[in-house]
Amino acid sequence: MSKFQEIYHYRTMVTSLIQRDLRGRYKGSALGFAWTFLNPLLQLGVYTIVFSTIMRAGIEDYYLFLFVALIPWMFFSSSLTGGASCILAQKDMVKKIYFPREVLPISLVTCQFVNMLLSFIVVFAVILVSGKGVAPLALPYLIPVMLVEYLLALGIAFVTSSITVYLRDLEHILGIVAMAWQFLTPVMYSIDMVPERIRPIFWLNPMSSVIIAYRDILYYKKAPQLNTLLLASALGAGFLVVGWFLFGRMEKHFAEEM
Amino acid sequence: MEQEYAIEVKHISKSFKVYLDKGHELKERVIFRKRGRHETREVLKDISFSVKKGEAIGLIGHNGCGKSTTLKLLTKIMYPDSGTITMRGRVSSLIELGAGFHPDMSGRENIYINASIFGLTRKEIDRRLDDIIAFSELEEFIDNPVRTYSSGMYMRLAFSVAINVDADILLVDEILAVGDVNFQAKCFNRMREIKADGTTIVIVSHSLGQIEQICERSLWIDKGKVRDEGIPKYVHEHYLKTMEDIRLEHVEKETEKETEKELQEELPSFCSPRSIRIGNKQISFSDVKLTDRFGNEKKIFKTGESFMVKMSYESREKNLQANFGIGIFRDDGVHIYGTNTLIECDCLVDIEESGTVAITVTDNCLLPANYMLDVAIHSRDGIRYDDIRNIVPFVITAAKQDVGVCRLDNHWTVNGETLAKRSYEN
Repeated sequence: MSKFQEIYHYRTMVTSLIQRDLRGRYKGSALGFAWTFLNPLLQLGVYTIVFSTIMRAGIEDYYLFLFVALIPWMFFSSSLTGGASCILAQKDMVKKIYFPREVLPISLVTCQFVNMLLSFIVVFAVILVSGKGVAPLALPYLIPVMLVEYLLALGIAFVTSSITVYLRDLEHILGIVAMAWQFLTPVMYSIDMVPERIRPIFWLNPMSSVIIAYRDILYYKKAPQLNTLLLASALGAGFLVVGWFLFGRMEKHFAEEM
Repeated sequence: MEQEYAIEVKHISKSFKVYLDKGHELKERVIFRKRGRHETREVLKDISFSVKKGEAIGLIGHNGCGKSTTLKLLTKIMYPDSGTITMRGRVSSLIELGAGFHPDMSGRENIYINASIFGLTRKEIDRRLDDIIAFSELEEFIDNPVRTYSSGMYMRLAFSVAINVDADILLVDEILAVGDVNFQAKCFNRMREIKADGTTIVIVSHSLGQIEQICERSLWIDKGKVRDEGIPKYVHEHYLKTMEDIRLEHVEKETEKETEKELQEELPSFCSPRSIRIGNKQISFSDVKLTDRFGNEKKIFKTGESFMVKMSYESREKNLQANFGIGIFRDDGVHIYGTNTLIECDCLVDIEESGTVAITVTDNCLLPANYMLDVAIHSRDGIRYDDIRNIVPFVITAAKQDVGVCRLDNHWTVNGETLAKRSYEN
């Protein structure tokens, strides 16, 4: 049985881990599942207060400008940092039960992805309420962009989850890495603000293309540029392949290392 | 023909790095390079075996012998350093129970999570759900969150999921001791049903009895190698005997140590350091020996073995008569037995300058425990000449598995016909 078939066979495990995570997370809290929507909404509130009234950025509807990029970014960064602990957190399972280890990062990233999709309900609600509206022709591009980001996040999660088993520090370093990465990605500013000189470096960052594409679709209401999309897909696929093989090499000794 | 084997293990070896002080952190790795020092411990050394389809085998051995590692290699949780493992068919393992259980979710939801970790698809779980719930006997509680379960209920649910995952090959690690006696019996019967269905089973257990009841073959792993293999009963006897010998060696060493200490005490060398000696010493012991019936000094006996207490005395006066006696106490203080020449023979011993009095116990009926021997010389009316308590410690080891204080000789009949005695090695 090939690895892919095997992972496909374990698809129920992926879905039940996601369900457990999504439903278990807010169990016992008074508002329960509503937190999934409340959280991004409250964040939006904070950003609006800070950037539209205190620290004015000089960008029209800055809260929206930021929000449509921040939600996808949070998906990516939580895959990056959460990926690091996803194998160690299931130590007992990994040491005692056989299942394709890829299931763990896959369910983590997919869970975060589902979370992002749910947050997007809030994003669209805000866009509608703000009266800015959406461009029906640009919207379908959201699907490939999300897919590319998913692949990218998965590739990263494969890398961080497997290395962290051997090098526990990574879990702590990654918090800072995620922050630096966010500032080096045009999440809070637009790529035009970056000096021409260092802009090529930004294009090496796969998340730059992804975030720009999101913003093109949702904020500028236009189809993303083709070369942006292609670059993002190529980098996404590259990351996934590297992550996949790295993970495949490392997983054999997971049980002994923990 | 090869295909008749469900599991083929060929020449597998596995070692672990045992870090003396492992640095999991980057800083530690960089700064304390030397910390990475480790020993390589070979857990399995070139093990080969195969299991036929539908066969059940047991892996036995003392702790740390490598049997659990073998099981982990079979499930692919770990990979061997060298050698190959071929598994034909779907493998399921009962190694960890209740994996992935979420305390806030209901029993039913947890069944889905847990079973999916064993590799079942939703449809497969749907099909088994009723069986699983019925097996767990938790119908009333199945929609309550598992945090409200007692630990016994929790384990019952976990076990029901695990045992209802059908597979071609089932690997079981020491988990049949779940729940109350009834549930255990149920699990055990289920294992037999599974076996009857043609599932290949590998069990790791310390419960040799269970293995004997389910398995056709036992594999004894010792220090990473297959030490013995064959019909469970015989392998287990061999195993138990070896284990017992090792244990006895320890006991011997302990008693030797005690003997060494004796020399430093004021008590004569034939007394244990814990001895208490009283009496007027008109007549006194010059030597006391516990021996087998051939006169060889010994401190470990089996139930049923004969032993002898040989008491040498010397006397300052002649023309005395004395009563020689012995007492046996168990180490928890229970007085097991006591007798003397007056009781047994209605006579006293005529004392000379020196002499030897011996008592032989034929077919001792003591059961396994630690015992102490007391000896005494009294006058007819109870004046103590010499009385030594706790003079010789000795150990009785098992010949059979009967229980209690002492063995009562017996025989069984069924409808008037006498049952043959189970034979034991001596």
